[in-house]
Amino acid sequence: MTAIHADIDALTELRAALTRFRYAQREVADRGGDAIEATRADLEAKASHWRARLEQGQAELAACRNRAAAADGDPVDCSGYARAVSEAGERLEHIRHWQQRIDQQVIEFAGTASRFKNLLETDLPRTEEQLAAIIASLRAARRVQPPGP
Amino acid sequence: MSSVYPVSPGPARPDRDGDQQLRLLEDAWEKAVPFWQDDIARQFGTHHWMPLREESRLYLEALRSMMDVLDTAQRDTE
Repeated sequence: MTAIHADIDALTELRAALTRFRYAQREVADRGGDAIEATRADLEAKASHWRARLEQGQAELAACRNRAAAADGDPVDCSGYARAVSEAGERLEHIRHWQQRIDQQVIEFAGTASRFKNLLETDLPRTEEQLAAIIASLRAARRVQPPGP
Repeated sequence: MSSVYPVSPGPARPDRDGDQQLRLLEDAWEKAVPFWQDDIARQFGTHHWMPLREESRLYLEALRSMMDVLDTAQRDTE
């Protein structure tokens, strides 16, 4: 197209950019959702690991204390088991803290994400259609044929 | 001795890709504006372009905060 139709070219490029933006941001939003789910799954796996360690530690500590009670005066040191139980409990609590923190952040994020999704699915296609109509009216007024396939 | 090779980057964060896509769209808008200065352009700017840009910025800022929390949670629970 010639320089006298530079406005039509610019608007056509803007419309194409809007369409690319819509598809790209849809993918961005999907990846954001995937990242949330992946992190939640990762934290749940870590919590499960430390929960099992805690239960195992508690069982070993109880067995040690039973041995100490039955030792009839012989010293039995259960402090290593107690430390393991304490560590597992702290790690589990720390992971639970992050799980709650993420849940809270997701609640705050959800409203903005929902509005943006609605913009991508509803408002932006309308904007593209309006721009297409403007381009078509400019072409019609100047008797310019749209580019072929 | 540290390696002369750059550290391999992890998967790109979606918020950064989203920022990049918004910059590309802003560039396309800036290129169109000099050729489009009539009343329709002003209406389009007010009713379509500005809300789109504002909502996109709000979303990408919220996504950045979300991704920061996810990254920190992953690191802090290793």
